[in-house]
Amino acid sequence: MSIAVLRFPGTNNENDVVRALSLINGADPYVVPSRKGVAGLGKASGIVIPGGYSYGDYLRAGAVASVDPISEVVRDISEDGYPVLGICNGFQILTEMGILPGVLLPNKSAKFVCKWVHIHVSDHATMFTEGLEGGLLRLPIAHIEGNYYCTEDEWTALNDEVRIPFRYCDDVGEITEEANPNGSVYNIAGITNQKGNVLGLMPHPERACRQVLGSVDGLKILENFVRAVKC
Amino acid sequence: MELIYEGKAKYVFQDDEAANRVIIEFKDMVTAGNGARKEDFPGKGNLTCDMSEYLLGFLEGKGIDTHFIRRLKGPQLLCKKVGIFPLEVVCRNRAAGSFCKRYGVKKGTEFENPLVEFFVKNDQLQDPLISEGAAIRVGLATRQQIQFLRSVTLTVNYYLSELLKQQELILVDFKLEFGQTEEGYIIVADEISSDTMRVWDAKSESMDKDVFRENKGNLIEAYTAFLNTIRKAKPELIEPRTEIIQVIVEPKSGIKNPPGEVTKKALNRLGFGDIEDVRMGKIFNILLRRPITSEVLEQLKIMNVKVLSNPISERSKVRFE
Repeated sequence: MSIAVLRFPGTNNENDVVRALSLINGADPYVVPSRKGVAGLGKASGIVIPGGYSYGDYLRAGAVASVDPISEVVRDISEDGYPVLGICNGFQILTEMGILPGVLLPNKSAKFVCKWVHIHVSDHATMFTEGLEGGLLRLPIAHIEGNYYCTEDEWTALNDEVRIPFRYCDDVGEITEEANPNGSVYNIAGITNQKGNVLGLMPHPERACRQVLGSVDGLKILENFVRAVKC
Repeated sequence: MELIYEGKAKYVFQDDEAANRVIIEFKDMVTAGNGARKEDFPGKGNLTCDMSEYLLGFLEGKGIDTHFIRRLKGPQLLCKKVGIFPLEVVCRNRAAGSFCKRYGVKKGTEFENPLVEFFVKNDQLQDPLISEGAAIRVGLATRQQIQFLRSVTLTVNYYLSELLKQQELILVDFKLEFGQTEEGYIIVADEISSDTMRVWDAKSESMDKDVFRENKGNLIEAYTAFLNTIRKAKPELIEPRTEIIQVIVEPKSGIKNPPGEVTKKALNRLGFGDIEDVRMGKIFNILLRRPITSEVLEQLKIMNVKVLSNPISERSKVRFE
């Protein structure tokens, strides 16, 4: 299935994502430079917005990319129900676009954080977490603006609609203050939209797809994404 | 036509054809000292109407919002109906008139930068000077409106001064009135003529109402000479003025601001122990090659929400000179 992997000027994880997706049967990922616009997307039935520093992250992380013409197409595609996965800077772009609620503020420490973290997967089924419900994943993070924040109302909606599949936890799956690497409210690492077809995720699943790299937990998320694209 | 207002120098009639338009008729009457002296000068109304038609039309052409729509027959202008702001805005390039009396300054003293002053539009109080702070507290205008009136006045000053400079005339000072349209847009209203500004020729001879105030010659001749002179000007040769709008984006209160916290720690480490809090934001200086109007401010609000700030975590303030 055709999966468009977007590249804005400053995106730098697009090849990692393509390589990781290529490990999965039936996935046909290709990089789409944003300047190519709608035409470049082709017949994509799924979109990944990878990490990096789109447009230098000037203004705010993801803010300039969020008003790029191609982002409007992403909005249409997401509204049509196709799976969209925003990783790291991709998550930031999705919140700046308003497809996902909230905002990613500078880390509580004001420092760039680059390390392996543990993620608790919610019990509630989503298209991205099939077979992972209630489990514990080990994934790397690398960001300076990963401190998820949202308004009270948005928070209530996220909670009531069980749209928080991923939360930072310790190595035994306990969701604690100490295990929160960036100050995110409720230890949030990833959220979905109301329909459940758009996932924003701060950790990098594409960097945890080979045992030699220390973990294959990310591959499971990407496999679910590919399966969703096929449906 | 229904008379809806009569001032010292003008009548305002309701336009029978459209509720949102008025017809302004210029009187031949000239007054000075808040109406203490008055005299009729046949033909004066037509001259000030001609000047207002020309100058308001000129400012419109430069992108400034005014109430002027078109000239009618006789000393009449068709204008947008507005609620007149209870403030008169005066802009001074040189000391003259009440400014000299108030501060004992020599007439003609040049200012490095134009001065904008506000006066309460109230005959009973004899139109007193008012500070910006007082105008806000008395409820005559909001802080944003004052900022806007000042900006538009300075823009008008630039274009009028440049136009007169072409003809070797000096714009000493002028008065503007502003009105608010139904949509809430603030636009230049009333008139712009020798009745509302001081203009000197190269020999510092007045071409305005000072001829009457100071009894120094023939008013109709001076007004006619001024009108004929400005009509020879070439507005298209005037360089557009660049306006600077400053947008300040800061983290909302209650939102964590790690960059500010880190900065605070660094300052504390250097020994500045009294620093209670530091919040870090951004400033955008936006250069605009057109005058600031109510519409521009509306667009700015959209720019602010769409790109410049994230309303979830930030708030923004707009400032301009």
